[in-house]
Amino acid sequence: MLKYIVKRIVNYVVMLFVAVSMTYFLASAFMDPRSNYMDRHPHPPVASINHSLDLANINDQTPILVRYFRWLKAIFTRWDWGLAPDQSPVGPAIASRIWTSVELVTLATIIGIVAGVSIGVYTAIRQYKWQDRTLNIIATFFLVIPPAVLGLFVVLIAIAINNGVGTRIFYVTGLSSYQGSNPFLWLLDFLQHIILPTIVMAIPGTVSYHLTQRTYLLDSMNSDYVRTARAKGLTLNQAIRKHALRTSLIPTTVNIAFSITGVFTGAVITETVFAVNGLGRYFVTAINGNDINGSVCIAAFGGVCTLTGALLADILAAWLDPRIRLS
Amino acid sequence: MNMFRKTKPAADAAQTPAVPVASETLASKSTYDPNDKSAPVLEVKDLRVSFASEAGTVHAVRGMNFQLHRGETLGIIGESGSGKSVTSMSIMGLLDSNAKVEGSITYHGEELLTKSDAEMSKIRGKGIAMVFQDPLSALTPVFSIGEQMAEALTIHNPKMSAEDVRKRSIELLTLVGIPNAEERLKSYPHQFSGGMRQRVVIAMAIANDPDVIIADEPTTALDVTIQAQVLDVLKKAQQETGAALIFITHDLGVIAGIADEIIIMYAGRPVEKGSVDDIFYRPVMPYTMGLLGAVPRPDKSKSSRLVPIPGSPTNLVNLPKGCPFAPRCPMAEDKCRTAEPDLLPVVGRDGQVAACYRSGEIVSKNLTFRDVYQVGEGIKSKFDGVPREDRAVVLDVKDLKKTFPLTSGGFLRRKIGVVKAVDDVTLDVREGETVALVGESGSGKSTTLLEIMDLKKPESGSITLFGQKVGEKMSRQTKRDLHSHVQYVFQDPMSSLDPRLPVYDILAEPLKVLHKSKAEINTRIDELMKLVELNPDQVDRFPTQFSGGQRQRIAIARALAVNPQLILLDEPVSALDVSIQAGVINLLEDLQNKLGVAYLFVAHNLSVIRHISSRVAVMYLGRIVELGPTDDIFDHPLHPYTEALLSAMPAPDPQYERTHNRIVLQGELPSPTEKIEGCPFASRCPLRLTLSEEQRRMCDTQPPKLHQWSGEDRQVACHFAAMA
Amino acid sequence: MANDNANNATKSETAEAQLDLDPQDAAVADAVLDEEAKAIDGNNKAEGEFKRTGRMTLYVRRFFRRPSAVVGLVMLILLVIFALVGSKFGKWHYEDLDFLSLGTAPNADHWFGTTGGGSDMYAMVVRGLGRSLAIGIISSIGTTILAAIIGTSIAFFQGWVERIGMWILDMLLVVPSFLLIAMIVRSSAGMSGWLWLIFGLVAFGWIGYARVLRTLTMSLRELDYVRAAKFMGVGSFRIILRHLVPNLGSVLIINTVLGVVGAVSSETSLSFLGLGIKAPDTSLGTLLNDGQSVVLTAPWVLIFPSIVLIMVTFSVQLIGDGLRDAIDPYSRSGGKAK
Repeated sequence: MLKYIVKRIVNYVVMLFVAVSMTYFLASAFMDPRSNYMDRHPHPPVASINHSLDLANINDQTPILVRYFRWLKAIFTRWDWGLAPDQSPVGPAIASRIWTSVELVTLATIIGIVAGVSIGVYTAIRQYKWQDRTLNIIATFFLVIPPAVLGLFVVLIAIAINNGVGTRIFYVTGLSSYQGSNPFLWLLDFLQHIILPTIVMAIPGTVSYHLTQRTYLLDSMNSDYVRTARAKGLTLNQAIRKHALRTSLIPTTVNIAFSITGVFTGAVITETVFAVNGLGRYFVTAINGNDINGSVCIAAFGGVCTLTGALLADILAAWLDPRIRLS
Repeated sequence: MNMFRKTKPAADAAQTPAVPVASETLASKSTYDPNDKSAPVLEVKDLRVSFASEAGTVHAVRGMNFQLHRGETLGIIGESGSGKSVTSMSIMGLLDSNAKVEGSITYHGEELLTKSDAEMSKIRGKGIAMVFQDPLSALTPVFSIGEQMAEALTIHNPKMSAEDVRKRSIELLTLVGIPNAEERLKSYPHQFSGGMRQRVVIAMAIANDPDVIIADEPTTALDVTIQAQVLDVLKKAQQETGAALIFITHDLGVIAGIADEIIIMYAGRPVEKGSVDDIFYRPVMPYTMGLLGAVPRPDKSKSSRLVPIPGSPTNLVNLPKGCPFAPRCPMAEDKCRTAEPDLLPVVGRDGQVAACYRSGEIVSKNLTFRDVYQVGEGIKSKFDGVPREDRAVVLDVKDLKKTFPLTSGGFLRRKIGVVKAVDDVTLDVREGETVALVGESGSGKSTTLLEIMDLKKPESGSITLFGQKVGEKMSRQTKRDLHSHVQYVFQDPMSSLDPRLPVYDILAEPLKVLHKSKAEINTRIDELMKLVELNPDQVDRFPTQFSGGQRQRIAIARALAVNPQLILLDEPVSALDVSIQAGVINLLEDLQNKLGVAYLFVAHNLSVIRHISSRVAVMYLGRIVELGPTDDIFDHPLHPYTEALLSAMPAPDPQYERTHNRIVLQGELPSPTEKIEGCPFASRCPLRLTLSEEQRRMCDTQPPKLHQWSGEDRQVACHFAAMA
Repeated sequence: MANDNANNATKSETAEAQLDLDPQDAAVADAVLDEEAKAIDGNNKAEGEFKRTGRMTLYVRRFFRRPSAVVGLVMLILLVIFALVGSKFGKWHYEDLDFLSLGTAPNADHWFGTTGGGSDMYAMVVRGLGRSLAIGIISSIGTTILAAIIGTSIAFFQGWVERIGMWILDMLLVVPSFLLIAMIVRSSAGMSGWLWLIFGLVAFGWIGYARVLRTLTMSLRELDYVRAAKFMGVGSFRIILRHLVPNLGSVLIINTVLGVVGAVSSETSLSFLGLGIKAPDTSLGTLLNDGQSVVLTAPWVLIFPSIVLIMVTFSVQLIGDGLRDAIDPYSRSGGKAK
């Protein structure tokens, strides 16, 4: 079991390295930091532009491999992820924002899994009943709403509620505004801020887990071993809860790895909508500012999130499925 | 009038307190005296089950009746769709909620049909237990055997201590013959073979000493030698618990040795019921006769043509008026087509009932199936009278080997060993003859066929077809020519015919490969349809619009399209219903005799092999252990494995089954990955046990070669075949 | 985009769940199809009129039997007509600015109101809808083609090639594709931006889908009737054309349709962030971006494009679901009371 996990980790580290390197080359090929200077009127002298670009190791006149190995060396020797075109270091900028995003991504993932799987199970047991049909229609509806629209409408509704009640229940910008030292008030303030972005980010995940878990459970509910369990004397509900549910969770674990990418992208949009100063917004700025090092660093963070999810999925699957655990 | 008014409430009042009395009697019945055989444990009265389907209402069971006492074994025989499994599921209360169930099922006098799922769950597993067909999917893959055993015990005995549960589980697993039961409690289902899993299922079924055990095709998915073991376990389990057993099967051989009484079902109804001897030796209903006549006998040499029941099983949605068997019955008269006959006692027989208007006539005239059914005349073979040595060799396989690499999981899959699927197989097939490959699953018989069909240079050894050695340097043209001489028929016609193509296109495909003109194709397809006894007007239909037997005929027609000289058949009849099998076997025989085509026939069913083949090769773990003329091998097997295999095969003959001393092989087929130094069969060989130390060492260290048997046309791979 | 992924996950998983089915089940499902064919053609059944045209009518009938699918189809047709000829009816061109009515609410002159800069929202929505639809449809088709080619070719190779191919596919899924697309589209501004966006959506959108198609092809390759054709000496190309493509075909069509939802969703998300379509070009996503800043002062700038956008994705989803039930013999999502 331990060997299995170690093997997976090694594989994932190699994957991450290759994927991030690929992103670096892609970013260097498509992003043009020089244009930041050339677009100015009048543009600064070429020599000084080159100097600034060289300082950040993003000069397109330096061979790409040279830049790449310099970049690698800096990361591996000093954990230095380089400079943005405006010479501000990327690492600290990201470090200061990372927890905001991790908070959002983790919360949304957990809520998505728990809520989605529960609804999936609930509807599968009530297949074709009105609860199932209603929830299915709601799911289809949320499935097709682009996240930006979803976010903006949640903001509209929250403002309407605030106005209707006459007091501010939901905050629609930022993640905190409380300056005092009362921990209870701080927590309340935090919840008032975080609830909306979390909902917006958790909905797509919830919907997707709902629909897939429903299919999986329906599949395993019809399997022979559920019938055997009933023949032993378990009631239908007992047999489903004990035998069908656990087997149907195994394919769901695979989805966890894939869904984190989705949550991560959701975070970029949600942070923009709710003006949360996290990595998502930083990424938008980085892209618009032709910040190669910044974008790659965020891509790397995204990759780490995905692979953490994948590893978690592996461990969960092995825990649930003796066929993996014992092979 | 006044009197009436007075007495009525009085009677009601008298009845009201009677209810608790009744329940008291029920309670007293649960401390049931196993010796009291007079009261039935289970009684099914006029059971009717129907389902709503897209095509219409399916009448799956239409009036089932029986009584069952403790210790009795009731066999229910029927083909697919006869309602036998639905009956068992209704007793268990495990039918889907869209099933409409009417009639009555009482267990110790208690009505089961009105019980809720929660109430039924108290009876399931405790009073009535069940063993299902497919052991591979019957156990939950994510729980250990111990956990699943424990669940069967604690669900009905919540107060049982963990230690008692453990002890009882070990006891039960030992009873069903699982070695090292204590350690195996921690194992998971995927670590068990199919036969072992079926033992576990049986152990769970008898865990709470049930009064009734229902076994629904419990051995159908198992190999013959394992089937013999599991049947033994079932009998033992029944003896231990004294339970009544309902044994459901389509296999007349299996039932002959185990049942006391038999019900034959057709189109959702029992059509004949009686003691096992009456049913097997004195059947009255023409359908029963047909079933018995349609099965070839493994213990008797091929004497005559099989007698198929014409037509195909009835559609349960639009049942014809009258007797559902009438359209297929050679004795049907007008009356049979207008009203369905009731199940009535047969005059002059004790306890035998049949649903047939003409039963009186059948009994009085003592008609047998030979009188009832048309025993057709076979066609004389083109090669009749030509001795084997004078016939041309169409296929010659020498020392064929096929291995599969065994890899470890994970990304960098290292090769950690090889599976020898086919190991040194040597055999030849001559014009117009049928050679059968027989063996259990994993013996490499199908792999051998696929290797021949691949038309590639084999890993090792050689394949020669019509004198042309199959190798790398064949041109495309030679390959195409070979393809038109060798054809293949798959086991399951459902999956071997593309459901998206009409029959015309399916039959045209091999002809188009040979660039035939449209006119030629049209004529040929017309010929082919007639050849396999189908209506040529139906070529525009899709495969799914045909019945299983008809589909297999289409598959055979496709194989015949290009006039091959050799057809490889992989279990061509094993997916078909018994009554249909005979027709397809007869067709294959006729075609061979008419066209002179040779067959290489793979099957696990020894009766079919005995009937159809002239030579047999018995395979075990990728090797041929015995080869020779069919009757010689069946009558005097030389290899101990052949002997055990033949002995394990049940015959549809209760008398024979009762007296026949079956060799039950110990253990299971070794895993194909296991490295075996000596004889692959040594681990299970009953002969080896009788040998001296020195002789045993020979078995364990030297693999026996397939060698000629003293001047006869037979070969065997056993060091001590002479002693068997 | 998150939505896109959710969507992808759903469709890939359902497809994978389908793969677990026995070919037997498929055959059974087909049997149902044929039963229906019989039922439908039963009346005018002259022998020999069971050609595939019958099957097409069957698909069409099954599709139109679902009211939701019909609603979706009608909705989408109306939207396409609106995108094509809607500008003929409006009084303003999308590039014109009406300096006399800045940020006005909907009125007789500006049916959907105006933005703060004086653009007519009606004209903008018509224009943006056209762009978004074009991007969604083209990139979904592109994604399907690319995924089909790569997915099936990986399935035809075995051994090392296949393992490395699969590893690369997994690796490409590590970095969220959204970020990579944003990088590529960044380099192109102006009116050609939407083509770059399509390029990006295709270049990074095919991966998960290719995985699904690979698994599907692998199971198809093992089907008995495919092996039967091989044993008859039928050429590989013919086998692929006659036996594999019809099987994959239905899956491809369904997923192309459903892929439009994901593509439109991705496009609007990127444009909303200012990373996709940029001014002077317009899409529904850029309109959302415009609307975001004036949520309170001029909500119509947000509401009209949002409604149109939801109508697009919803109608396509309904059509896709309807098609799946109609064509796909593997589908069990029919909701038939079985």
